[in-house]
Amino acid sequence: MAIEVPVEHVLLVAAGLFLLGLLGVLVRRNIIFLLMSLEVMMNSAGLAFIAAGAKWGAPDGQIMFMLILALAAAEVAVALGLVLQISRRFDTLDVDAASELNG
Amino acid sequence: MDLALFWIPAAVALASTLLVITRKNAAHALIYLVVSLLSVAVIFFVLGAPFAAALEVVIYAGAIVVLFLFVVMMLNLGNTSVMRESRWLRPGMWVGPAILVSILLITMVYVIVGLPNANVTTGEMVGPKAVGNELFRPYLLAVELAGFLLLAALIGAYHLGRRYLEQRREP
Amino acid sequence: MLEYLWLVPALPLAGFFALFVTEGKLPDKIVAVIGAGSVGLAALVALGAGMEFVQSGEASYAQSLWTWMAVGNFTPSITLYLDPLSLVMSGVITGVGFLIHLFATGYMWKDHQEPEGYSRFFAYMNLFVFAMLMLVLGDNLLVLFLGWEGVGLCSYLLIGFYHRDPENGYAARKAFVVTRVGDTLMAIGLFLLFRELGSLDIQTALGDAGQLDAGMATAIGLLLLGGAVGKSAQVPLQTWLPDAMAGPTPVSALIHAATMVTAGVYLIARMKGIYDLAPVAQLAVAIVGLVTLLISSFTALTQTDIKRILAYSTMSQIGYMFMALGVGAWSAGIFHLMTHAFFKALLFLASGSVILALHHEQDIFKMGGLWRKLPVPFASMLIGSIALVAVPLTSGFYSKDAILLTAWEHGTGPWFWAGGVLAAFMTALYTTRMMVVAFLGETKTEPHDASRINMWGPLVVLAVLSIGGGWMTFSVLDDLLGAIDHIPHIHPAALVTVVLPLLGIVLGYFVFSGRMNVNSLVESSFGDALRRFWQSGWAFDWVYYRVFVKPFLWVARVNKGDVVDLAFRITAAVTRGFHHVGALTQTGRLRWYAANMAIGLIVVLLIVASV
Repeated sequence: MAIEVPVEHVLLVAAGLFLLGLLGVLVRRNIIFLLMSLEVMMNSAGLAFIAAGAKWGAPDGQIMFMLILALAAAEVAVALGLVLQISRRFDTLDVDAASELNG
Repeated sequence: MDLALFWIPAAVALASTLLVITRKNAAHALIYLVVSLLSVAVIFFVLGAPFAAALEVVIYAGAIVVLFLFVVMMLNLGNTSVMRESRWLRPGMWVGPAILVSILLITMVYVIVGLPNANVTTGEMVGPKAVGNELFRPYLLAVELAGFLLLAALIGAYHLGRRYLEQRREP
Repeated sequence: MLEYLWLVPALPLAGFFALFVTEGKLPDKIVAVIGAGSVGLAALVALGAGMEFVQSGEASYAQSLWTWMAVGNFTPSITLYLDPLSLVMSGVITGVGFLIHLFATGYMWKDHQEPEGYSRFFAYMNLFVFAMLMLVLGDNLLVLFLGWEGVGLCSYLLIGFYHRDPENGYAARKAFVVTRVGDTLMAIGLFLLFRELGSLDIQTALGDAGQLDAGMATAIGLLLLGGAVGKSAQVPLQTWLPDAMAGPTPVSALIHAATMVTAGVYLIARMKGIYDLAPVAQLAVAIVGLVTLLISSFTALTQTDIKRILAYSTMSQIGYMFMALGVGAWSAGIFHLMTHAFFKALLFLASGSVILALHHEQDIFKMGGLWRKLPVPFASMLIGSIALVAVPLTSGFYSKDAILLTAWEHGTGPWFWAGGVLAAFMTALYTTRMMVVAFLGETKTEPHDASRINMWGPLVVLAVLSIGGGWMTFSVLDDLLGAIDHIPHIHPAALVTVVLPLLGIVLGYFVFSGRMNVNSLVESSFGDALRRFWQSGWAFDWVYYRVFVKPFLWVARVNKGDVVDLAFRITAAVTRGFHHVGALTQTGRLRWYAANMAIGLIVVLLIVASV
């Protein structure tokens, strides 16, 4: 099943998702929400790849999506480990608390 | 009609994502995130990528969100954290980032609409067989690299999750 | 044996490395065997190579070891070059050097100041012998310069051997800095030579020396003379040598009497081809020699420290050698270098024995009456002294006579001869003073002679050489050095040359043993002032302190903040300022970074869209 959708429509939706994710990253201070927003952004990138693949009828788009998937999985595993450490160490989930690397 | 089949899940995805980033309770946000991911999976299916759609459901909506859920449960984010969130999420905070993101949105729309060959439609079905053939031939190296990455993430997550790190805090 | 020539410098180098890498952990007896043995073996190899060389009748022998570096057409090679000059030099270095090393095994044994320094001492000494051999055997001016600086380094290290006393460190630094002045001149001279002739190979350069125009040859000659003056402690760079006596006495014997200080003589003799083209420079050599000769022999008359007397005496004898080279008595100069090495090493070692027996008392006025108590050192001193004074039939007589008689016939008139004879008279006077005051009269300090065969053995050998060294002119050295003319010793000038020193001895004996009263002369205000002027070494140190040291210290004090450094400090400050500005962007806040990335994304997209 495949329907004809103009490619720019899909890209617009991907852009919308990406920007919503970015908005979340910029606004939220809770690190859990921050990570969820990041997931949304990566997902939107995957959507753009799928759209491109569908446009050319090539499998490369889906392959890129899979690599993004692997990346997202790895990122989430490490990031959530960090979340645990941060919450233990700083006793908060505020991402601004972990600003020891300031110049 | 065809476009409606695309735009309905797209609207659901956008709306639920908006809800994800505005929730105060992390558990609620996760539920909306699942909705968002599922609707994106529908879009994948519509676009003729059933294999990607399946992976989206299984790995994103399944594994990754479950991981989030575990952490939320471990951190025991209850009513206090909801109250803290409402303290952190004052309406004024949205202004600056919203302006920034709007500018970005305008730029992106401008770039996307101005695509050199706009109005090219998608519509070709690319099944799992084609993906598998491509993935394990020319992209084999990428698969290996992804494997390395996952291994490194495994070790890193294992190490970071251990409790003893806590005891090494400086006096 | 000639093909083993490379072993001559290699053996002392090996000895140095053996002592160096073991960091003084070896037992002292093994150190002595390595330290003296390596030089002894080198002396044997040098002897064998020298005999084969003499028998072969060749003019020179070159042994090319390897090419040091190859940069364009600049390819200095490590080549050992043996000719009569370098044979005599290396014979002196290894032969006399070995005897001094042997003496030092006893002298430095359980040393009172540096009991731990036995290995260090011999490591430095072996390194010195290696560097000195490279200096004289190198067929390349770069190798020569390497050896030249190497001996300077060893001299520095050994003068400051008793480093716990800051005075000695000062003396070492003074020697280093003063000779550095000469070395700089010499380096410039070498640069000029290389620029003009395009080669630093000595034989090639000398072969091409004819291409130099007279002015350039004079300039190079004078610059090389500058280097020689610094190394050989001639006026005006002579002030370091008396202070260099702060080192152990064997060091004074080896470095500051027999070998290193004669390196300047060697350099000028080696560069004879240049000086032949530059009569002005050659005359300058003679004048430097004459001035040093007179100044230092007058100074020696007033010193009280036995080693300082010998140091000034060394300066004056090297002055003779310079004068010899300057007036054209090339072979006689080198001959005097050799005989001087014998008798001055003997004098130093004998005085070392005396000093050791008196528990490091060096003032001759606190000695007295030692001839009965220390017969071997006394006899050695006596033999060395008569050779120094050039009493007929001793080695010093033949060499000094040859120099003075050549000076007599010099084109500018008998001035050099007259100065040399006056200095010879003074030499007799101060030598007699030293002997009479230190060894005759009544005993003032009780000696403890603890010397063994390794100490008096070298004395005996050197004493024999001091007496008999001159007879070599009639056999071996004639073939080698050739041009020592057998001027008949019955000659008006020769008669004066012979008689005046004898007169000096007689006069000195009567004056200093108190048989002739000269108190009225000495105690007059003029006599006292003159004595103090002479004792200070003709006030060179006083002048140098005011002309060079004080202004330099003043500049250093004024420029404490270092003006030149300002440019670098400003650069650093500006960089640091930029760093601080840049660091402001590093807030450590994740969202701030994300916002910046978003802004960057907008910019990139706009650029992409506008293209």
